[in-house]
Amino acid sequence: MRKIGFVLSLSLLLLALLAGCSGTDSVSKDMVAGFIYIGPPGDHGWTYAQDKGRLMVEKELGVRTIYKESVPEGPEVKDVIRNMIDQGAKIIFAGSFGYMDYVEEVSKEYPDIIFLHCSGYKMTENMGTYFGRMYQARYLSGLVAGLKTKTGKIGYVAAFEIPEVIRGINAFALGVRDVNPDAKVYVRWTHTWYDPGKETEAAKALLDEKCDVIAQHQDTAGPQQAAEARGAFSIGYNSDMYSIAPRAYMTAPIWNWGPYFIDQIKKAMDGTWTSGSYWGGLEDGIVDLAPLTPNAPAEAREIVEEMREKIISGEFHVFEGPLKDQSGKIRLEKGHVMSDEMMLSIDWFVSNVVGRIETGK
Amino acid sequence: MLQIIKNKEISSRKKAAIHLAAIFLALLTASVFILFMGHPPLKVYLSMARGAFGTSYRFTETLIKTIPLIITSLGISLAFRMKFWNIGAEGQIIMGAFGASWVALSYPHLPSFVLLPLMGLGGLAGGGIWALIPAFFRARFQTNETIFTLMLNYIALQWITYLQNGPWKDPGALGFPKIPNFSPQAVLPKLFGIHIGWLIAFILVVLSALFITKTKKGYEIQVIGESEKTARYAGINVSRTILVTLFISGALCGLAGMIEASAINKTLSVEITGGVGYTAIITAWLANLKELRIVLVSFLFAAMIQGSSYIQMAFQIPQSAAQILQGLILFFVLGSEFFIRYRIVYRSRESGGGET
Amino acid sequence: MTLKPAPHETLIKTRNLTKRFGDVLANNAINFKVKKGEIYALLGENGAGKSTLMNMLSGVYTPDEGHIFVHGEKVFFKSPEDSIKHRIGMIYQHFKLIDVMTALENIIIGRKDGFFLRTKEIKKQVLSIADRYGLPLNPDKKVYDMSVGEKQTVEIMKVLYRGADILILDEPTAVLTPQEIQNLFSILRRMKNEGCGIIIITHKLNEVMEISDWVTVLRKGENVGSVKTSETTYRQLADLMVGRSLDLSIEHVEIQEKNPVLEVRHLVLEDDERIKKINDLSFTLFSGEILGVAGISGSGQRQLCEALAGLYPVASGIIKYEGRDIVGLSSRQIMDKGISMSFIPEDRLGMGLVASMDLTENVILKDYYRSPGPFVDRKKGLEKTLAIIEKFNIQTPGPFHPVKLLSGGNIQKVLLGREIMSEPHLLITAYPTRGLDIASSFLIYDFINKQKKKGVPILYVGEDLDVLLELCDRIMVLCDGKATGILESQNATKELLGLLMAGETLESVERMNAHASDH
Repeated sequence: MRKIGFVLSLSLLLLALLAGCSGTDSVSKDMVAGFIYIGPPGDHGWTYAQDKGRLMVEKELGVRTIYKESVPEGPEVKDVIRNMIDQGAKIIFAGSFGYMDYVEEVSKEYPDIIFLHCSGYKMTENMGTYFGRMYQARYLSGLVAGLKTKTGKIGYVAAFEIPEVIRGINAFALGVRDVNPDAKVYVRWTHTWYDPGKETEAAKALLDEKCDVIAQHQDTAGPQQAAEARGAFSIGYNSDMYSIAPRAYMTAPIWNWGPYFIDQIKKAMDGTWTSGSYWGGLEDGIVDLAPLTPNAPAEAREIVEEMREKIISGEFHVFEGPLKDQSGKIRLEKGHVMSDEMMLSIDWFVSNVVGRIETGK
Repeated sequence: MLQIIKNKEISSRKKAAIHLAAIFLALLTASVFILFMGHPPLKVYLSMARGAFGTSYRFTETLIKTIPLIITSLGISLAFRMKFWNIGAEGQIIMGAFGASWVALSYPHLPSFVLLPLMGLGGLAGGGIWALIPAFFRARFQTNETIFTLMLNYIALQWITYLQNGPWKDPGALGFPKIPNFSPQAVLPKLFGIHIGWLIAFILVVLSALFITKTKKGYEIQVIGESEKTARYAGINVSRTILVTLFISGALCGLAGMIEASAINKTLSVEITGGVGYTAIITAWLANLKELRIVLVSFLFAAMIQGSSYIQMAFQIPQSAAQILQGLILFFVLGSEFFIRYRIVYRSRESGGGET
Repeated sequence: MTLKPAPHETLIKTRNLTKRFGDVLANNAINFKVKKGEIYALLGENGAGKSTLMNMLSGVYTPDEGHIFVHGEKVFFKSPEDSIKHRIGMIYQHFKLIDVMTALENIIIGRKDGFFLRTKEIKKQVLSIADRYGLPLNPDKKVYDMSVGEKQTVEIMKVLYRGADILILDEPTAVLTPQEIQNLFSILRRMKNEGCGIIIITHKLNEVMEISDWVTVLRKGENVGSVKTSETTYRQLADLMVGRSLDLSIEHVEIQEKNPVLEVRHLVLEDDERIKKINDLSFTLFSGEILGVAGISGSGQRQLCEALAGLYPVASGIIKYEGRDIVGLSSRQIMDKGISMSFIPEDRLGMGLVASMDLTENVILKDYYRSPGPFVDRKKGLEKTLAIIEKFNIQTPGPFHPVKLLSGGNIQKVLLGREIMSEPHLLITAYPTRGLDIASSFLIYDFINKQKKKGVPILYVGEDLDVLLELCDRIMVLCDGKATGILESQNATKELLGLLMAGETLESVERMNAHASDH
């Protein structure tokens, strides 16, 4: 054992010297964009959709991109950000809610770097937030599910009790209600964004409770496969999952990040970037509903198309009063449209959702 | 026919040659793997070194990763010297961080000079008590400490998960399961650009070395490690020494947890250890449980971790591939230990021939 | 299967057999030959190279140089199986039997001829072989019910059944009582008459003189002499073995004034499974006395010593040191009462010393805690170590040399030196000369006698009955945890001790003698 340290250090030192000789890093003056992912790009879900956006950036702008996958929503994010800056990143997209506090902390250390945090609410001089009105697409998917169910029970596998997820469940449930007033949406929490095993288990539990359509706010295709295996039907998320569950998959609310990424990076290169909060909807194309497959009920196509147009034109709002919560209490008066603020902090379920929100303290 | 023969003694020059060969082989094997992924191996290796030492920022990062490795390795070594196989450093780090966090979250407004020492005590107590549990059962009922300490890791982890999702959930995080951040007073200050944990680690290295070589307790630990029978013969209270030593061992790991929670995370989370509790078992072992070597080996390991994290981004290698690279290097270095303890000989069929 | 008569007079022969381990020459050009109907002794002290030679003969080691001839044919053994094929049978010191099987099952285990065992036929064969050599064998007895002697018989039967006509026995008498030794010897003589060749490896001179026809003496890997037993003497062999002339008498010191120091009454010791290891034992140890403890190994000697030293829990009974009860006290509590008890355990490196630590660290083992403050006082320890090295003439590169790298004799001297330097009030020793060469052994007896002269009471657990008879004042014989007799050495004989070790009591022996004289 005596010499191992010596030998190891010698060889590493040598490498370090060699590294020193070979000049500085291949970091150019050019724009480098960094992307922090919660899962691996191969997840067919959330990260997959983001990575598609990144690849679009490389293709359209010719900008060098770097990414780090499977970064947990913990302090490690700070390391990752610093490493990216060290490698020349000038603009960083942090792709998960739990990164927020860490991104905020580091953004203060590096005032020259642009930070964009997905789905959060904290902003600084050089840190903006971005997200999509996914609830609009979820509402549309709810229409499909409501038309499809025979048992009147629709399962929903959900990650965390945060406003983003709750909002999506409510929008989905409202879509169900508008075509099938008796159907209920059953929610199961997994407390993880990315865990194929847990997500599959949650879906199976819902199927055991006689749910015949499964929807999800998760980043893997586990729930889709569970539905496929049991002969039930499913609504995906993030990206088209037809190939994974060809007999179950009907449609999915999907992300299309590319145009937004390109827009932001261009602004950063022009020097016209300013901090702010972006929340685009169907009208921008950042969110959409994937094409309906033959598994979807035939009559859905027309209704979905009609409501989609109405939402884009502003004629219809997903969250419009009167809205009752599970206890029957009126949360939004008739004639009112829910404000963005209320949507961003929503912590209650609409009346046709079965499930509990554990708020902690 | 090939036979495996135990080596008696081996010269340190030969040892060094074996280790050097192991590292070379590891790099060579990994090269094939890297080529397979479509990258030039030499460039990847150079980047790895550059990623760990290339700039003062990266060097600092490497040092910051070294600190918890050193302290935890010291803790583990203490138990290992007694042949008490404490695999529970991971859990002890977590519980130490828990103890410190409890102080930090309960008394956020205390001034730093009161709060930080209290958090330190919380860390020592948390890790120490967590290690005391298996020590008690081993001393009293001769339970297998390896399994016991390993299982306690999972319990500790689930405990934090529970806190994070339940009683300690940050009400300000809009339902996202995280524990609130510490107040600024609960964050360890920096000294020469790195949080003060490096000074603590340095002091602990000196104290550990003194403790083991100079004190009566240290002497007793070494005797127990050699033979419990001899220890009892010498009049050493074996059970009590196991308890005391494991408390110190766990307390050191707990302190590492406190430092990570306070200086790096500024809160408690399930990711607090980053696997340090397991990595430190390897570093302690490779360092032969000797304090100064622990410093060196820990530093090299931190460099390896930092370097492979760098190349992951620089070459866009998937996380798992970077880990395979790390694993390969480890596998070869640990595997070479076999060739230090044994040698393989070819024995001819003729009895007159002897060994080649 | 029956034995074919060997076509050659000479059964086994070696020519310049040599084996090296690294720089150590374990065997250097060893030559000897064993003929039909001979018992050949390989005599030597520990480390003389006996085991290496044996392992080459049985195919465990391959010789570096030289050759082995069996039945006139040059052979190359690659493994122990090869030696068995050449009809060589090994009887090791530690038996390789399966406890839950019967004698017969153990004998036929590993036979490869045929899938179905014709048990009845085999049994008949085995019994006929047993009959031929006069082996007392009960083929249906389970091994766990057997005495050590019976197990050895099964081992011998096993190799005979496989057709061996050359038997190699490694220290066969080490674990036997004197009566069992006589039984073994008569079996060996019978086998010799039937034309077998027997090699017996031993370091016991008297046995060589008693049983062997030829003897080769090994010293430090060299063949220092091959002689016909009938033409040599005990003295000559001893001198050859040690390499110089030795005084072979153990001094017997007489002390007039004797006071009771240690009183043991109705002592009962139980192990974890509550099996009695010492059962209702009572004795008194006087100042200036050496009380020997005899018995086959495992009769409770270890537990007794450890209990006296405060290392084994006492189930019931009294242990009094000068009137003070020390039952329930730990070893350190006993020392703290001012009773300086020195215990030299049989397991030197596993209990008495810390194998990988150096001499100094071992010397401080029992009193390091007395120095004030939290630190170990190594300076004092070093002084003491240097004194011990000088006084006991320990061969070591220095005081910081790990004890496990010393020779057996020097290891024992470190242990004994530490204990004697603490000026004990009571000395307990278990097998203090086990594994030591003759010269070192006599040095140890000398140290023990010096303590006796000082009036120190000594409990001496031993295995060599000749030594016990010469060294001790009284001898207590243990069998299955009970004292079958305590007698004055001058009234004891080896035969009497042997009977007591086998479980007879003084009364039953007397009755037997009375009965015998009646006729």
